[in-house]
Amino acid sequence: MPNGRWPNDLEMVIERLRRQFLDLNPGGLRLFLTGLVILILLWSSWYTVPPEATAVVQRFGRVMRTAGPGLHFKIPFGVERVRVVPTARVLKEEFGFRALAAGQRGQREREDLSNESLMLTGDLNVIDVRWIVQYRVEDPVRFLFKLRDQRQTLRDIAEAAMRRVVGNRLGSDVLTVGRVAVASEVKEDMQKTLSAYETGIRLVTVELQDVTPPDPVKPAFNEVNEARQDLERMVNQAQEQANKVIPKASGEAKQVIAEAEGYATERVNQAQGEAARFLAVLSEYQRVPEVTRRRLYLEAASKVLSEAKGVYIVDSEQRALVPWLSLDSGGIPPPLKEEKKLLKEEKKP
Amino acid sequence: MTRAMRTTLAILVALVLLAAFGAFYVLEEGEQAVILQFGRPVGAPATEAGLHFKVPFIQEVRRFDKRLLIWDGAPNQIPTAGREFIWVDTTARWRIVDPLKFLKSVATESGAQSRLGDIIDSMVRDHVAANPLGELVRSSAWEPPKGEALEEVAEEVLAELKKEIRLGREGISQAILSAVQKVTPEYGIEVIDVRIKRLNYVESVREKVYVRMISERKRIAARFRSEGEGRSAEILGNMEKELREIRSGAYRKVQEIRGKGDATATRVYGGAYGRDPEFYAFSRTLESLKESQNKNSVLVLTTDSDYYRYLKEANPSRLKTRR
Repeated sequence: MPNGRWPNDLEMVIERLRRQFLDLNPGGLRLFLTGLVILILLWSSWYTVPPEATAVVQRFGRVMRTAGPGLHFKIPFGVERVRVVPTARVLKEEFGFRALAAGQRGQREREDLSNESLMLTGDLNVIDVRWIVQYRVEDPVRFLFKLRDQRQTLRDIAEAAMRRVVGNRLGSDVLTVGRVAVASEVKEDMQKTLSAYETGIRLVTVELQDVTPPDPVKPAFNEVNEARQDLERMVNQAQEQANKVIPKASGEAKQVIAEAEGYATERVNQAQGEAARFLAVLSEYQRVPEVTRRRLYLEAASKVLSEAKGVYIVDSEQRALVPWLSLDSGGIPPPLKEEKKLLKEEKKP
Repeated sequence: MTRAMRTTLAILVALVLLAAFGAFYVLEEGEQAVILQFGRPVGAPATEAGLHFKVPFIQEVRRFDKRLLIWDGAPNQIPTAGREFIWVDTTARWRIVDPLKFLKSVATESGAQSRLGDIIDSMVRDHVAANPLGELVRSSAWEPPKGEALEEVAEEVLAELKKEIRLGREGISQAILSAVQKVTPEYGIEVIDVRIKRLNYVESVREKVYVRMISERKRIAARFRSEGEGRSAEILGNMEKELREIRSGAYRKVQEIRGKGDATATRVYGGAYGRDPEFYAFSRTLESLKESQNKNSVLVLTTDSDYYRYLKEANPSRLKTRR
């Protein structure tokens, strides 16, 4: 209010104002000016807080209160100042990659962030881990006034925690089954540190994104996967063959056993049948053995003789037959060929 | 009111206002301040946020941050106790706890940063160089992995993995921190933590590690393949065994059953034919003669045979005597 310095100017301004507002008397002017001041006071004494935020009100720098979303009032003229912190919004930090702004399709920038993502595992190998941390400002007062460089602090803590956890595990574990455990361990570790530093940050989630072996080693890792699949394939093939052959064999075994049972039954039945037949014949035979015996003999002889190729009937006194006749049933010696013909003719009629 | 009077009043008001402005200052939350009188600090530092007073014109306010600050050093190439060269990137959190000492010893934040850099870097060097890489990477909570986890670990690494961790990464960080904490109070600084943020092989070592990893993988792949062959052979062998069991078992059973059948048949035959063995022999002989193939046979019979004896003579009495 430097009006004391230019009183003439001020008088001139008032004079002009009075002329502009025509017939306003000094009382009316005072009323107008007071109204103006009150308006300005009101204008600079309210503020709104967006739905996802919390306002921190400082009076001469000291934190007096916080205010939620909506319309609020404060003491004007710089006595009370307001800082708005988005407390309900989930904020995200990315490690090892930077996602492009929303709307651009999922392509990630090809910026080299290998320093951020490469780390050592417990078996002293190198692994490439990319992850995100989502967090919320839980306590805006602590967030603003307990630490400077909040974002960098969070990033430092996240990197240190991730490397500690990964360094305590085998690379193969982190690559496969350990992912979830790694993420939750990192979250726990980070939250402990963040709370100890009174940062007012509450972690929402820590999520591993791509966890891969470093690029030059990737083909070798794939080879291991292939080998593992080969192993399974070979085992499956063998198993398949076994599954095919064994049931067949046991079926066949059952078959031959059943056949054997059939054979046994057949043999017993045959035996019983033949025995019964024999016994029946025997009982008749025993009644007239002499005749029956002779009959049976003659019947058999007639059948045999009727089928035979030739029959020589020799008188029992005749002795000199043997040298002439080959006893081979088919092979008659060559000089006797005519005789053979004769024999045949003899048989035919 | 004369014009002169009005002017004097205005000048007075202006003076009062100026004095008032110089006589108080606002200390923000998270700030602390030291009051300098002609360049020399006076009184206790102000640490509470709010409106504070000072003597106008002769006193000057020097503000410092009260919040947690970051020290972030440049990555250093340091050899470990095992002679591997690694990049070590450390970070620390600190705050100004004694602004008076701070002002006297390092004056500004950037001065403090560079002083901290000197101290922390040398401590980190000492401790990294004194420890093997395993200690720097793993934690004291490290437990040598067991069982299935080792499936993909090469053998020469196994021994290394079994080593007990004496300090671990936390232990070493803690040792660095306490060494640093011994020095920093004289700067009015409290160091809250020193963390190894990043730790990596230097480029040349990394290449070698990659080569090692690749050969390790290849060996594991070969092991898997041969294991597959082995397990396949085992399954096939078991299959063969089972097959033989099944087949020979079936053969045994078949023989037993057939034997039993044969035995029963034999018993039945014996029981029947035993009644008259001679008649059995007779009738069976005739049967077999009838059944056998006689088509190509040539029979030589004498007239003495029963069949032809009537061909010679028809006297039954003589026949009777012959019998």
